[in-house]
Amino acid sequence: MREVSVIGVGMIPFGKYREKTLAEIAWPAVKQAIIDAGVKKTDINAAYCGTALGGMMSGQRVLKQLGITGLPIVNVENACSSSSSAFREAWIGVGAGVYDVALVIGVEKLTKFGGGTLPLEKEDFEVAHGLVMPALYGMRAQRYMHDYGLTPEQLAKVAVKSRKHGALNPDAQFRNAVTVEEVMKARPIAEPFTLLHCCPSGDGAAAAVVCASEIAGRFSGKPVRVLASEVNSGRYMTGYRDMTTPEITVRGAHEAYELAGVGPEDVDVFEVHDAFTIAELLYYEALGLCGRGEAARLLEDGTTSLGGKKPVNPSGGLLSKGHPVGATGVAQMVEVVRQLRGECGPRQVEGARVGLTHCTGGGISGFDHGACSIHIFAN
Amino acid sequence: MTDELIGSVCQDCGARLFPPAAVCPECMSERMAELPLSREGTLYAWSVVHVAPKGWKTPYIAGYVDLPEQVRVFTHVVDARPDELQSDMKVRLTSANLGIGEDGQPLDSYAFTPAR
Repeated sequence: MREVSVIGVGMIPFGKYREKTLAEIAWPAVKQAIIDAGVKKTDINAAYCGTALGGMMSGQRVLKQLGITGLPIVNVENACSSSSSAFREAWIGVGAGVYDVALVIGVEKLTKFGGGTLPLEKEDFEVAHGLVMPALYGMRAQRYMHDYGLTPEQLAKVAVKSRKHGALNPDAQFRNAVTVEEVMKARPIAEPFTLLHCCPSGDGAAAAVVCASEIAGRFSGKPVRVLASEVNSGRYMTGYRDMTTPEITVRGAHEAYELAGVGPEDVDVFEVHDAFTIAELLYYEALGLCGRGEAARLLEDGTTSLGGKKPVNPSGGLLSKGHPVGATGVAQMVEVVRQLRGECGPRQVEGARVGLTHCTGGGISGFDHGACSIHIFAN
Repeated sequence: MTDELIGSVCQDCGARLFPPAAVCPECMSERMAELPLSREGTLYAWSVVHVAPKGWKTPYIAGYVDLPEQVRVFTHVVDARPDELQSDMKVRLTSANLGIGEDGQPLDSYAFTPAR
């Protein structure tokens, strides 16, 4: 495999764009990434578009707006990991030498569903019996609180940290700070979660241009190297399982660290899949930032806040930046690439050299998660 | 009233699952037999759900119940106050109306309730 680099990134501020089509939401992010990379349209050999609910031919609908057509376009669905999985396909294509330059898009328009919880596949047994994503994470939280003594106040502090970071990100859906009390008194969604424990529903798009590192010098975009690109599916388990151990993330992290030749101690900035407050804490442990049951300490002593030793979700994460499902994976990469280039202004992680993105999801029976994708980048 | 829940047991490798399936996810055998499941189990985790798609009666308590046959069942916990629920408490099988289905018909299902 040839080494692959990201040479351009772009995204639009996440939010609600009811009046726009999926294609209208996405093209500005794509154009931004192309300009950032300094590539011509004709330099792009292939495009991969990740979306969970965007419908048929999403990539073609987006790219015809910019006249990027006639090339191979592949649409990728993998729930929350859709665009991070699309990124991996681009990494394989370029790394294998089939393509020199590839474009990755992540896009979602959730406002078309009119709000509420994310629509899940009704053929699934548990979904047909009333499982919704907040309830699934709510049960994880309930069990974790039982097993490790996590308090409701500590759980609320995840949202407080997230909003503090999001306030510094012009692309974030929520840019206001909140207090522990406000989090705990918001309206209940799925206990122990109130509204402020849950990522918002919304729309958004993000894009990246990748190329073989050996030709990155031909383009003006500042390259960031891809050290590891990893996608996994969950293991189907019919029996008892420990819901406080996200097994797919534990496995994926081992693989990604091995591929990259780095460990958690070497990573300077993390973007993790904090769809709900408990998730961020579970992923501190699964990604090796601390041992089992120790996540709250990392949160409370500031280790994972901006200014701490291991900042997690400087973008505000899914809780504040927003979670337009299929767009999230590439949006995390946009943040990490900008962090590694030193472009993040007031939320810059000083001296960041290595960054990790972690994107997982898919609520189906018998799985911890359906899919998980972990990437590691370095400048 | 739900008399019992039926899962599957693989006649070749012994794998047990719920809901039942025609093929074994462990060994791909199609020799699957019915497995009557115990009416009592323990509550692994729960969440009081206030926001759900149209049709479901909210709030409801969603939970996972572990049965002695080594299967875990997603369920609603009914006739229970949230403050009486405890991890690993004993629960027993019952049935309940959970709302209105997409077809407009009553959504009746198995459920579990604290074993008092």
